[in-house]
Amino acid sequence: MKPLHHPSPDILAAYASGTLEPGFGLVVGAHVEGCAECRARLRTFEAVSGAALEDATPTAVADDALSRVMARLDATASVQPKTDTRPLLERLPLKPKKWVAPGVWVAAVDTPHAPENRVYLLSVAAGGLTARHEHEGREFCTVLKGAYRDELGLFAAGDFAAAEGELNHQPRVEGDEECVCLFATEGRLKPQGFLARMVFAYANV
Amino acid sequence: MRAFALHGDVPGAGPMLRSGRAARIGRVSRVDDSRAEDEALLLRVAQGDRAAFASLFGKYAGRVKGYLVRLGAGAAAAEDLAQDAMVSVWRRAGSYDPTKAKASTWIFVIARNAWIDKLRREKVELAYREIADEPMEHEEAPDAAAERVQTEGRMAEALKLLSEEQKQVVRLAFFEDRPHSEIAERLTLPLGTVKSRLRLALIKLRSHWEQYT
Repeated sequence: MKPLHHPSPDILAAYASGTLEPGFGLVVGAHVEGCAECRARLRTFEAVSGAALEDATPTAVADDALSRVMARLDATASVQPKTDTRPLLERLPLKPKKWVAPGVWVAAVDTPHAPENRVYLLSVAAGGLTARHEHEGREFCTVLKGAYRDELGLFAAGDFAAAEGELNHQPRVEGDEECVCLFATEGRLKPQGFLARMVFAYANV
Repeated sequence: MRAFALHGDVPGAGPMLRSGRAARIGRVSRVDDSRAEDEALLLRVAQGDRAAFASLFGKYAGRVKGYLVRLGAGAAAAEDLAQDAMVSVWRRAGSYDPTKAKASTWIFVIARNAWIDKLRREKVELAYREIADEPMEHEEAPDAAAERVQTEGRMAEALKLLSEEQKQVVRLAFFEDRPHSEIAERLTLPLGTVKSRLRLALIKLRSHWEQYT
């Protein structure tokens, strides 16, 4: 099924240029991988960047750069990179799952580069309702499995959602399977209500 | 401001490129020459031609290093990464397809991925990241091929929608990752103009894309 919700052009442009913070980039990548439309959009921005590279003023490289690189060519067999075709869900390096409520687990994606920003999977069983929460900072989300609905609409596998600080929402799982989403967040979530705060604190998201 | 002008044609536009090539014969410009030259060099590199590789290195290693410095790599890290990226150019040249991207775009993508992989240690492979490696290319059904032609056409249209001024701010804001205030200073424009120009460019792209979704 074609995704309905896509990253905005500024997000794609930043991603294509290599300027998006990598944890957020991973979430965008999870969407783009399954979205032919966004792959084409990305190519547009890459073309802009390629043209910019061509016109850029070069920076001096080390005097021996060429000879060092040439020396490495012999040792380097030409490769056709093999693509790991497993679903992204199986390719993500995860820390152990933590059950935070009945039917709800969280697993951090092992991202040593991002001490400030958190990248994690959240799984909520069918019929589940997550704690209403606000965002402190930016949050990106790609649905990997199942579907949820919130004030902004229905988000199914492959869909992308970006939330800025002002969003206060309460997603509800739709359909009869669990909903698994990949998140990157800036800062911590601010769950409303005491129990929700406990749960989020425990899960360290 | 010639340095910021963008080429009107779009790399990666396969079938369009083939028909476009004939049309271009009558108006070969310096830009097209250098483009064709890079493409020829890269195709020779794919055959294991070291002299061609050295020429390509001469043109791109410094540009790739400059790009990495702008992204925030220190000078030493940028030097190492630029060398790594050029080694990757050698290793992967076999998968370069000139009907899908200009040589400069293909090299840019390799450099960008080298940077992201340096930042990101978890190394989740994302299949679409390399231009030659489109997942939809494998045993492409006739429908998928038609769809690809269509999206490529759209991509070309999308770029044409932007004025040179808009492309310039998109490029400075994203490729060069410059703060809006710096762009304003550089182009001697009020900050508000830079912001609105960028916003309009992105709105244009968004509404163009949304017709199809």
